[in-house]
Amino acid sequence: MRVLVVEDEQAIREALRRDLTEAGFNVDLAADGEEGLFAGQEYPIDVAVIDLGLPKLPGLDLIRRLRAKDKRFPILILTARDRWQDKVEGLDAGADDYVAKPFQFEEVLARLQALLRRSGGWATSSLACGPIVLDTRAQTVSVDGQPVELTTFEYRILEHLMLKAGEVISKTDLTEQLYEQDYDRDSNVIEVFIGRLRRKLDPDDRIKPIETLRGRGYRFVLPRNAG
Amino acid sequence: MRSVSQRLLISVTVLMLLFFGMMAAVLDARFRKVAEKSLRELLDAQMVALIASAEPDDSGRILPGLADREARLATPGSGLYAAVSDGASEPYWRSPSAAGRLQQFGPAQPPGERDFRYITDLRGARLAAVSRGLQWEADGGGSRNLTFTVATDLAPFDTQVSDFRRGLVKGFTALAVALLLALALLLRWALTPLRRLASQIHAVERGDRDSLDSSWPTELDGVVANLNTLLTAERTRIARYRDTLGNLAHSLKTPLAVLRATFTHGRPGAEQVNVEVDRMTAIVEHQLRRAATSGGASVGRQSVEVLPIAQELRGAMLKAHGNKDFSLELAVPADVLFVGDRDDLMEALGNLMDNAAKWCSGRVRVSSLLQAGVGAGQKLRIAVEDDGPGIASADRERVLQRGARADEATPGHGLGLTMVRDMAELYGGQLEITESALGGARLELRLPGRMR
Repeated sequence: MRVLVVEDEQAIREALRRDLTEAGFNVDLAADGEEGLFAGQEYPIDVAVIDLGLPKLPGLDLIRRLRAKDKRFPILILTARDRWQDKVEGLDAGADDYVAKPFQFEEVLARLQALLRRSGGWATSSLACGPIVLDTRAQTVSVDGQPVELTTFEYRILEHLMLKAGEVISKTDLTEQLYEQDYDRDSNVIEVFIGRLRRKLDPDDRIKPIETLRGRGYRFVLPRNAG
Repeated sequence: MRSVSQRLLISVTVLMLLFFGMMAAVLDARFRKVAEKSLRELLDAQMVALIASAEPDDSGRILPGLADREARLATPGSGLYAAVSDGASEPYWRSPSAAGRLQQFGPAQPPGERDFRYITDLRGARLAAVSRGLQWEADGGGSRNLTFTVATDLAPFDTQVSDFRRGLVKGFTALAVALLLALALLLRWALTPLRRLASQIHAVERGDRDSLDSSWPTELDGVVANLNTLLTAERTRIARYRDTLGNLAHSLKTPLAVLRATFTHGRPGAEQVNVEVDRMTAIVEHQLRRAATSGGASVGRQSVEVLPIAQELRGAMLKAHGNKDFSLELAVPADVLFVGDRDDLMEALGNLMDNAAKWCSGRVRVSSLLQAGVGAGQKLRIAVEDDGPGIASADRERVLQRGARADEATPGHGLGLTMVRDMAELYGGQLEITESALGGARLELRLPGRMR
């Protein structure tokens, strides 16, 4: 896994390089926003750790520029400014999670792994399949314009299914969207979530958005709407 | 304090009453004088005619012949009377009109004297009387002192005067009312800019508008420009202050992060360093957050919609607590506004939602409403509920303890809640902890708010 670390404070940058290498990552370092932008565009990065207070190009702008260039790898923000306004702005700019400074390395690692597991990364701001519309920024779902209240896990399964609409997704793949560790999860859990999703999205059994393929997994049958 | 227009109206009314009163008194006196003068001229003319018509009769008594020609002197009670006396207590001749009306015509006058006086007739009516004393040369030599008197009833004169007075009062009253009305309208018009200014200032206070209009009458221009400058200055001051605090947080926490990154687990002394780093981090966060809360003190509060803030925070919470399966439901009407600083609300609500997400087992609910009939500082209610373990009633006071030392606060709950409560109190509101119908804690913020 190739991780890009953009951090201007040398001691922190070095510590992250050391610890991330130890954890098995291939680490690219950048000391300012411009270097970060270059590395993010030129190298096949899997995940990035970006400090918000960067010289030359502020972290928020860096994230926006990367997203504008259609770079979809997950981004974890490091921030010393921990007012909610800053966090919300960071997530809104296209980051996926944040860790407040000073951080414990274990927390950074756990969050990075969670982000990597939830593949799909940064999606377009809205996904629409038939009557089902998913707003990935606000993390809201609506059916025929009516909002549907989903839990975080239900949402994540639906997002994954919709991103890969038409493909067969295995239970293992779905389990990996939810849990950080490779615990031997009871596969019934996924069945429960799928059942809950069907009831919430399609209470009258009218749309039948999710198809079960015995022994192979699930498939989201509604095609992505054009445009 | 009375309003400016009230003051003006009252003072003008008093002045006008004084002015019109004096005017009426002067006019009245003047009119009386003129009327009296014409009355005297009338009497004098009668007198001349009376004297001219006097002739001695057979017995040598001087009798005016006028009574035969002047009908009014011949008609009893006509209002015009005449008499001739020769010094005795009663006149020896009275006009027929005086019969039963007038006995005494005033004292006899020495020759050449004139007298004007008011007398009363037998029925009590007031009369004006002119007497003239003269020496009558008899044809046969010798002379007699005679007093001729002419009197006239004052009733027509009095009626004339009181008619005039009534007319005067009526006219002046109408004039005064018209003037006051005109003045009131004029004031309304002249004070319109002031009223507009007052309502705009009120709107700024309520957060309906950012600044005051720029075009005003010359007299107000300076004041308004200064107010606008003050408003902008206050807002930029807060923004700059927050920015400085943000930079301060950044520069304080970066060395802490370096310390922590250097002393990773397993290094000698790492445990102790990390405990201290945690403490310092908590203190920095606590103090800086408190300092950054603008609260109700700032000039020109703005109002912000609650729903978009809750939605942004919802997205952040779902991402930040993504390793947990829970739902975050928003029941916030779109037209509910918080009157105050956007950042303050985001901070407080963010802390409450973050706590709830941390402690819930599967559900978080954020609801909001405007309550009528409570103090201005408590109209907006925002409740954040979860289905977690809740906060035991014994602990509720403690987690909200003001000034509880940051490093003693319960991780997760205490620290953030103190800040939320401080923020609410700065706005004259409060934070209340109860049990939720969902099973966990219910934290309710009461803040200034209004409908859009």
